[in-house]
Amino acid sequence: MMEPQEIARLLEQGLNDARVHVDGDGHHFQALIVTPAFEGLSLIQRHRMVNEVLEAHLDSGVLHAISMRTLTPEQYDAERT
Amino acid sequence: MADIQDTIREQVENNDIILYMKGTPQFPQCGFSMRAAQALSGCGREFAYVNVLDDQDVREGIKQFGNWPTIPQLYINGELVGGCDIIMEMYESGELQKAVDGAGQEA
Repeated sequence: MMEPQEIARLLEQGLNDARVHVDGDGHHFQALIVTPAFEGLSLIQRHRMVNEVLEAHLDSGVLHAISMRTLTPEQYDAERT
Repeated sequence: MADIQDTIREQVENNDIILYMKGTPQFPQCGFSMRAAQALSGCGREFAYVNVLDDQDVREGIKQFGNWPTIPQLYINGELVGGCDIIMEMYESGELQKAVDGAGQEA
């Protein structure tokens, strides 16, 4: 069983200036990831970047259980206004 | 495994829109595949699909082919668009409709 905070910590360490929030019940996780590193990248490039960080630490079963949203800081701010 | 990569490449090249999924659009066998197929159906165009549960080689081979760890995987115009999260996000933003409308019209 994996804690959401553990996944958040991996992402914060692996991505530049990332703000990360992960919810989950230990089996399924939802991650919100906000970082300027996503600027200029397509969704698939962003997800690949996140997967690479996680693949190094997690087995594929856990990786499959994570759904994610990947935003730049500008996109995140725009959503909140 | 070289053969299966060739088979997948052919499928992807011969179909403008193709979804690799678990189950079928009529009878999906995984929630992620179900949502992806529904979103794609909502764009109002026919699409090809491959049920990876029918063939273990495809099920493993597609992950290598797309360099993508999960299923479903959507390909449009021969390129990987993404998995379930990306498909849903693009569906909600209208980008998926645009991509589907542009399928078959090579730039």
